[in-house]
Amino acid sequence: MKMLSLRNLGKTYFDPYAGAHVTAVHDVSLDVEPGEFISVVGPSGCGKTTILNMIAGFIPYSKGDILLDGKPVHGPGPERGVVFQSFALFPWKTVLDNVGFGPKMRGVPKAERDRIAREYLALAGLSHAAHRYPNELSGGMQQRVGVVRALANNPDVLLMDEPFASVDAQTRMTLQEELTRIWQERKPTVIFITHDVAEAVFLANRVVVLSKGRVLDQIAVDLPRPRVWDDLVKDDRFKQLSARVLQMVRAA
Amino acid sequence: MQVTGSLKGRSSRLIRSVNSLLGAAMFVAPLLALVAIWAVVVPLFNVNPRVFPSVGAVGAAALDSIRDGTLFAHVGASLLRVGLGTLIGIATAVPLGIAMGVSPTVAAFLTPLFRFFSVLAGIAWIPIATLWFGYGFGAIVFVIFNAVFFVVAYNTLLGVRTIPHTLRNAAASLGAGRWALLTEVLLPGALPNIVTGIRTGLGFAWRGLIAAEMIATNVGLGYMLFVARDFYRTEVIVFGMIVIGVLWLLIDRLLLVPLERATIERWGMVRRA
Repeated sequence: MKMLSLRNLGKTYFDPYAGAHVTAVHDVSLDVEPGEFISVVGPSGCGKTTILNMIAGFIPYSKGDILLDGKPVHGPGPERGVVFQSFALFPWKTVLDNVGFGPKMRGVPKAERDRIAREYLALAGLSHAAHRYPNELSGGMQQRVGVVRALANNPDVLLMDEPFASVDAQTRMTLQEELTRIWQERKPTVIFITHDVAEAVFLANRVVVLSKGRVLDQIAVDLPRPRVWDDLVKDDRFKQLSARVLQMVRAA
Repeated sequence: MQVTGSLKGRSSRLIRSVNSLLGAAMFVAPLLALVAIWAVVVPLFNVNPRVFPSVGAVGAAALDSIRDGTLFAHVGASLLRVGLGTLIGIATAVPLGIAMGVSPTVAAFLTPLFRFFSVLAGIAWIPIATLWFGYGFGAIVFVIFNAVFFVVAYNTLLGVRTIPHTLRNAAASLGAGRWALLTEVLLPGALPNIVTGIRTGLGFAWRGLIAAEMIATNVGLGYMLFVARDFYRTEVIVFGMIVIGVLWLLIDRLLLVPLERATIERWGMVRRA
């Protein structure tokens, strides 16, 4: 696995409605260790989604560098997997074929990619849904598919853009617990964008707080794993950390 | 468990087949009502057969044309032309529509042309088509191709544009190249609109076919109507019209509707009708 570095990253674009240049990201530098789980929080407009889209290669960056193991990245690529807020599953493919899509793009033969897809579906407790279509699944199940579809491609970095924002509160907690469990099992490098402070602290090893296109502060989360909500809601350390992050976000 | 499972399967299958029978009956009933009114009105007002035929006369004309094989010759000729013209139309329109959907430049350049030619599509081309291809097969296939081409291309363009951008991003971040993006995302994503385009286009094509066959050939359903008119054979004309209508319903029900069911309805991309 590889190290991801952002060096003085910036994004300025022309806003045709305002008729002016707008700077969404001023100057962001960040190193993400292999196998690290970082959450990026901040108020709306702080540039967190823009940063993620630049790392994913969906939009070009205006200044600075994005380096994966020292090499600059441009454009989307399979070494950076993405989990979307809107799930972005292919409606015309079964769950199995959605998860097997990445391996298919690598030229993995059908039988082998089905085996890989089944393995990852089992990891998310979705074996029974292999032959259903996305529209036949609940939102929570669709996003489980979204997560394992990205993981099945074995990316160096997993980029998650508010992936649980559009599911109900109960399901969100379950998905968060499942994500920490899967992360512990596979140890992918994760950058998780959210505006939910509790979610950020619950999931991450490190929380990065953004404000107006800059890194405001970073907080290490030393909570033990496995993390489950039943324990953490009563945990003083969790409450302390959450309160600190929340204070920063509100002041941001 | 297995017994109840299979019983459940059987009863739901039964319900489904009863439902589809019921649906078919609901569909046929208004048509039968029309025939019934016709069967009553024509003798009641003693309508001149040169103005409108009786049900019996049309039935006899149908039997005649089946017995001497002319019906099959006409239907076969018409279906071949419509099939070939439609296939060529789809095969050329879908790639162009996708190119327009992917490239704003291509779309901007071609859109005015499309607006212009979609008004003209189909029968307005018959005179010049006969000059280019002579009276016969080529001219008719061209008119059908023309009727299908513009509406399918335009719908394909719409289809590509309605694919959410995140799906393209998702494919790219999973390693899809340009070709995979085309076959795995753009084509299936545009399919609901492409099917709509084919349905509309085939409707135009079918009408264009009849018009073209009245002018440009010596076999086919349009020709059958046109020749019958010269001999005041209203029963042949009405029978021909019925065949044209029924064939269209069959094409729509047996070809296009099942295609929609098997694909885009299953994927939840259009609401079930």
